[in-house]
Amino acid sequence: MRHLLSWVTFFFLLSVPNSHAAVFHSQSFTLANGMQIVVVPNTLSDALVQMVWYKVGAADDPSGASGVAHYLEHMMFKRTEKLESGEFSAQIAALGGQNNAFTGYDTTAYHVSVSAKHLALVMQMEAERMRSLNPAVAEAVTERNVVLSERQERTENNPIGLFYEKLRTTFFAEHPYGRPVIGWRKEIEKLDLENLKVFYNQFYAPSNAVLVVSGNVNVADVLRLAAGTFGRLAAGEKRTSLSLPPVMKLPAKQSIVMRDARVKQAFWTKQILAPSYREAPQKALATGVLLEILAGGEVGLLYRHFVMDKKSASGIDARFDSDTRGPSVFSLIAVPSLDNDLAVLAKDIEAYLHKLAQKGFSQASVDAAKKRFLDSAVFARDRLMAPAQILGESLAIGLRIEDVESWPSHIRAVTPAQIDAALRSLLAQKHTVSGMLLPKIKGGAL
Amino acid sequence: MKYSSLFVIPAKAGIPFIFLFFFLFSSSFAQAAAPIQQVVSSQGVRAWLIEDYTLPLISMSFSFRGGVEMDPQEKQGLSTLTAALLTQGAGPYDAKTFQDRLASSSIQLSFGAGRDEMAGALKTLRSTRGEAFSLLSLALTQPRFDKSDFTRLRDQQSTSVRFRLSNPSWQARYALFSFLFEGHPYSFRSLGSASSLSLISLEDVKIFAKERLAKENLLIAVVGAISKKELVRRLDAVFGDLPEKAGGPDLPLVAWPKETKTICLKREGAQTNIFFGGPMLSRQDPDWYAALIANYILGGGGFESRLMKAVRERGGMSYGISTFLASMDKVSMIAGSVATDTAVAAETLALVKKVWHDFYENGASAEEIAAAKSYLIGSWPLNMTSTDSMASTLLSLQQEELGPDYRDKRESFLKNVTRVDIKRVIKKYFNPAMLSFATVGGTKKLSCDLLQDEAKE
Repeated sequence: MRHLLSWVTFFFLLSVPNSHAAVFHSQSFTLANGMQIVVVPNTLSDALVQMVWYKVGAADDPSGASGVAHYLEHMMFKRTEKLESGEFSAQIAALGGQNNAFTGYDTTAYHVSVSAKHLALVMQMEAERMRSLNPAVAEAVTERNVVLSERQERTENNPIGLFYEKLRTTFFAEHPYGRPVIGWRKEIEKLDLENLKVFYNQFYAPSNAVLVVSGNVNVADVLRLAAGTFGRLAAGEKRTSLSLPPVMKLPAKQSIVMRDARVKQAFWTKQILAPSYREAPQKALATGVLLEILAGGEVGLLYRHFVMDKKSASGIDARFDSDTRGPSVFSLIAVPSLDNDLAVLAKDIEAYLHKLAQKGFSQASVDAAKKRFLDSAVFARDRLMAPAQILGESLAIGLRIEDVESWPSHIRAVTPAQIDAALRSLLAQKHTVSGMLLPKIKGGAL
Repeated sequence: MKYSSLFVIPAKAGIPFIFLFFFLFSSSFAQAAAPIQQVVSSQGVRAWLIEDYTLPLISMSFSFRGGVEMDPQEKQGLSTLTAALLTQGAGPYDAKTFQDRLASSSIQLSFGAGRDEMAGALKTLRSTRGEAFSLLSLALTQPRFDKSDFTRLRDQQSTSVRFRLSNPSWQARYALFSFLFEGHPYSFRSLGSASSLSLISLEDVKIFAKERLAKENLLIAVVGAISKKELVRRLDAVFGDLPEKAGGPDLPLVAWPKETKTICLKREGAQTNIFFGGPMLSRQDPDWYAALIANYILGGGGFESRLMKAVRERGGMSYGISTFLASMDKVSMIAGSVATDTAVAAETLALVKKVWHDFYENGASAEEIAAAKSYLIGSWPLNMTSTDSMASTLLSLQQEELGPDYRDKRESFLKNVTRVDIKRVIKKYFNPAMLSFATVGGTKKLSCDLLQDEAKE
C-alpha cells in the first residue's frame, strides 16, 4: 500500500522537507492548508509528545473580555461533534498517557504524552477539536467557576501572585500584556459561550497552528497521519500579522511597594523593557548570554558578588525571555539576607551593574557562558517535551525553524562588545518598574 | 507567565471513533527495552545499569537510606542543610572553585534530603565523565564544610522557610502531619524552622554526613553512554572510600492516633486549603496493586477520578482535587488535597466525604477498574523518557526492593488484580471514618475539633 501513502503525502504537502542538522535535528513541513508540522525523532524511549500550538493567546483577548483565550483552553476538553465532554482526556488516560494545555500571552498549547504506538488516535482527536468544538451552555457556566477558583488559587489567595499582577499592570498599563493571562475577575464573570465561539472560530484553524511530534516516531508516519487528519480541515483565516503594539507610554509609576500580612519573606524585583528576538535578534541573543553571565546559578556574577562575597543577599536571580510577540522584559529579583535592608540591597545591585558596564566583560567570562549555553543543547535533547516546547513556541510566535536549529552558531557569534552594549542599553532603559513585597508591620500604617 | 489547565471529565464510555484508515497504517516503532544490568565492583559496590548510547550523556541516581527522619528533634533541617553543603567545596577545591569546575564542564550535580533517604543525582556529557565522577567522589568522601558556606546555606534555608510559611497548602500539610505523626520523626519539617536552624552547628553537619554516607546504605542506578566494564571501575573510584557502616538511631513504626480529627487554621483570604489523610497498606503488601487501582478511581486519576468529577466538573468548586498513596519506611498512607472558595469550604468537605463514603459502601465498577488498569499499565513508558528519569525510576525500584525483572512483571501484577481484591482493600482502607483533615483559611461552618494557629517561624 505504499502507493496510497505517497499519494496522500503528495496531495497534502505543499513544501519540501527541510532538514536541519543542529540542536534537535528536526524536520519541518507545511500542509496545503497552511498548518506547520515539525518532527523530532527520538528513540531513547517508546513514548512520544505531541503538541499543537495556536498562534493566539491572552494578548489577543478582546478589550473588556480578558480571560477568553484561557477560558477557551479549559473548554477545549468539552464536547465536540464527535467527542463527548471529557472523552479526549479519558481516551488518553486509558492509554496510560498524560495530557494538558496552557495559555500564555502569545500562544496557547495542547500537549499529550503517550506510548508512541498511539499517535494515530492522538492526532485524530486533536484534529477533531480544532474545528468542531461544541460545548453545552451548562458546562461552560460550571467551567467558568473552575476558572474563577483557579484565579483565586493562583492570584487572589497568593500575595506573590497579586504582587506580580500589580507589577505587570504598572509596567504595561494599557498594552495587552498589562492584563493577567487568566483575566480580571469582573471580566471573567461576564464571559459566555458567545465570547468563546467568536474567538474559537476566528483563531482555531490549521493556518494558525503548529504541530510538533517528538519521540519514537518516523517522519513518514507522522506526515501520513497528519495529512489524513489535520490535512482534511479547511485552512481558516490566516492571521496577517502576529505583531503586538509596542509600549507607547512610560509607566505612570517607577516603583511599587506592597505589604501583605501573609508575607513572611520580603523581596525586591526590577522589570526592564528589553529587545525581543523578533524585533532585534542579535541584541536579544547578546542579552541572553548576558543573563547567563549574571545569573547562571552559583557561578553567576550576581550570586558570587551579593550572596558569597558581600553576603547582603540570600538569593538573587535574573530572568529574560526574548521569545515574545510583543516587547520582552529583563527582570532582576533579590532576597535580602537576614537583617539586611532591602532598599539598600536594591541600590547596591544597580550600582554594581553600572560598574560592570563600565568595566566591560572579559573574553574568558563570555566564552565560559557561551560554552554552558552550547552544552545545554545536548541536555535539551534528553527531554521529549523540550523540543516540542521550544520549536513549537518559536514557530507559533512567528520565528523560523532555523532560528532554533541554528541557535548554536548564533550564540558562537556573540562578542563581548555586544554583551557590553546589551548591559548598557538595559541600564539606560527608561521603561522600568521596580517593586518590593513586604510583610505587614504590626500596628504600622503602610 | 503560563497557566496549565486541569479539567474534568464525566463518566462516559463513548465509542472511540477511529477510522479504519489508521488501523491499517498505524505501526508500532517501539523497540525492545534495553536490559537492566546488575553491576558489582571489586569493592562490592552495587549498581543497576542501562547502557544506552543514543545521546552522549550519562545520568546517575543514588541514595543513602535515612533522611529527614534522622534529624535530631530540636535540629530539624539538618539533613537538608547537609545535603546542600555537599556541592559547596570538597578536597582541594573551595566552594567557588568546585562550582566553577562543575559549570565549566556543564556537570549537573545535586543532593537532597527525602523523608527516608539522602539522595543525589549526577548528569554529565560523556566527554566530561572523568571530571564528573572525580568531583562526585570528592563531594561524598572529602566535603569541605567550610564555615562561611555553612552560614550562607543556613541563611538561604531560613529564607526558604519564610517563603514556605506563606504557602497555605504547605501549612495544611504540616498541620496534618504534626497531628498524625506526633512524637515520630515523620512529623519533622524538612527545612526546619528559624529556631531549629539556629541550633545547628557545623559539627552537627559533619557528624550527620559521616553517619549517613556509608556503603551499607547505598543504592545506585546509572543510565546512558557508559559500558559495564567502565562503570565497575568508576564505582570503586567514586564510592569505594566511603565507610562500610552507617550510624544513627533505629526508628519505630508510626503508631496511628486512636481518633481522627479535623484541625482548622485561620488565615485571611477568600480561599481555604484542605489536606487530608489516613492509614494505608504498605508497598510490600500483595494487595498494593489493588490499592493503587482503587486510589486511581477515587482520587488519583486526575481528570478521570470520582473526586475530580464531583468537585470540579459537576460542582465547579475547585481548580482540582487529587489523592495519592505514600509508602514510607515506617508508615503508609493515603492523602489528598483541595483548595476551594471559603464560602463553599464546608460544602466541599462534605462532598469529599460523601464521594469517599459512596466508594467505601459500593466499591468500584468493572468499567472503572478496567480503565484504571489500562492507565496504570500504559503509563509505564512515560517514566522512561530521558536518561535521568530512567535512572531515578531504576533507583526507586531498588528502594522498593522490586528486582530488575519488575519492569516485565508489573503488567501482570496489575492485570491479576480481581474485583474481589479491590473490594477487600476498599472495605479495609477506604473508609472515610479513617481520615483526618487540616484546613487553612476560613473556619465558618466547618466542624473543627481543634483550632490552631498557622506555623509562625
